[in-house]
Amino acid sequence: MSDKIRIDVLTLDSVQCAACGYMMESIAALPEDVQEVIDYTEWSIKTKEGIGMFTYLKGKVLPTICIEEDLVFQSMIPQYEELIDALAERAGSDELRDRILSLRDEGFDFDNIKQNLDKAGSGKKTRMDI
Amino acid sequence: MAKQMLIDATRGKRTDKAPWVPYAGCNCAYLIKERTDRYFKDADLLAKGVVEAARTYHADGIPLLFDLSVEAESVGCELEYWEDNVPSVRIHPCETETPDELGLGMFTKSSGRWPVIFEAAAKAKPQLDEMDCAMLGLVTGPLTLASHLAGVRIFTAVKKKKEFAHAVIEYAGRLCAESVRFYAEMGCDIIAIVDPVSSQIRPETFQEFVTPNCREAVQAIHDAGKTSTFFICGDCTKVIEEVCQVGTHGFAIDEQLNMNFIRDIALKYNKGFGGNLKLTLALSLGLLSPREDALVSLAAGGTKGYTFAPG
Repeated sequence: MSDKIRIDVLTLDSVQCAACGYMMESIAALPEDVQEVIDYTEWSIKTKEGIGMFTYLKGKVLPTICIEEDLVFQSMIPQYEELIDALAERAGSDELRDRILSLRDEGFDFDNIKQNLDKAGSGKKTRMDI
Repeated sequence: MAKQMLIDATRGKRTDKAPWVPYAGCNCAYLIKERTDRYFKDADLLAKGVVEAARTYHADGIPLLFDLSVEAESVGCELEYWEDNVPSVRIHPCETETPDELGLGMFTKSSGRWPVIFEAAAKAKPQLDEMDCAMLGLVTGPLTLASHLAGVRIFTAVKKKKEFAHAVIEYAGRLCAESVRFYAEMGCDIIAIVDPVSSQIRPETFQEFVTPNCREAVQAIHDAGKTSTFFICGDCTKVIEEVCQVGTHGFAIDEQLNMNFIRDIALKYNKGFGGNLKLTLALSLGLLSPREDALVSLAAGGTKGYTFAPG
């Protein structure tokens, strides 16, 4: 297992669909200390790659947050603490789990939201005709 | 085209056949070969696009504008415009302070893009009437608008900071009602409260925060003599009973729900219901035959209260 926790967000398209947008934002607005220990990507089902990932992860509904390939939040935008707990539960080491749980009272941070969404590919690659 | 047939179906009445509403938003811009970042700001383009979509798709009704950022922008939320997508809200003003504490007031007809929308409606409405096509006004629902105002923190606040959540969502509900009054004045025949994110919460949260904050908007639609509906997206199975009790004449759902299930719920509550041609699987990706998919929806929906529409 990598020293970072893998998150895949299955969406229709986080720009077009508000539910997908706020599901994606729940990850992008995690505080900086959490950002350092996660890797995440948005997978829009409007692309071949997104369909592939939806199938690979055995997705059932959109939007869904998958953590370490588990379908964790399916059509349910998580509260901050629920997200932290779900990440800690899937941390690859006790040290990482404790580090994440120590951030349980931090709350969302919107300072770098645009950069974080860009990093995840949000709003990008949602068309197959260009 | 048949405006009255759509109104009747939305009100849960029997119709000769299922009326048809294409929820064309960005697609209107595509039809007139325009970029969406120009389309959503220009009254002439909006009118041209919506009329072209109604004509192209032989619609019984069509949204004047499918853009859930209008109300947010008109109270100061910063948007990002895209060349090929709807605008998205990027800055949420209510970080820790409520709208009242921030001094956010009620928008007016001169706020944000409202002047553009009023002008577009004045141009499109006579042309749609000539085609016997209903004009739908789409209002951002209270929870989606509250998400724009406070960001994703609103979904934690509904559990952990209830006072803050109530303040934001109540304010959103008031904006929603004012938006209804604007669309009624523009001449919209049907007004939809569009609250996609309300499918992403638990039923008890819906009852506490969404239902009461739709009341003023629903009343405003009915006071104006218009037909009301509630649009929700995603897998809304867990809150579908709450959707039926929000007080609108009808509701519409997306492609993830089973149309037989939805039809039975709608008949139980005597509501109109719309959906659910598979936007992604059939129309975008072609993984299903749109024709076969349409036949399945039409067979399941029947002709009592059913509107055929993308999901």
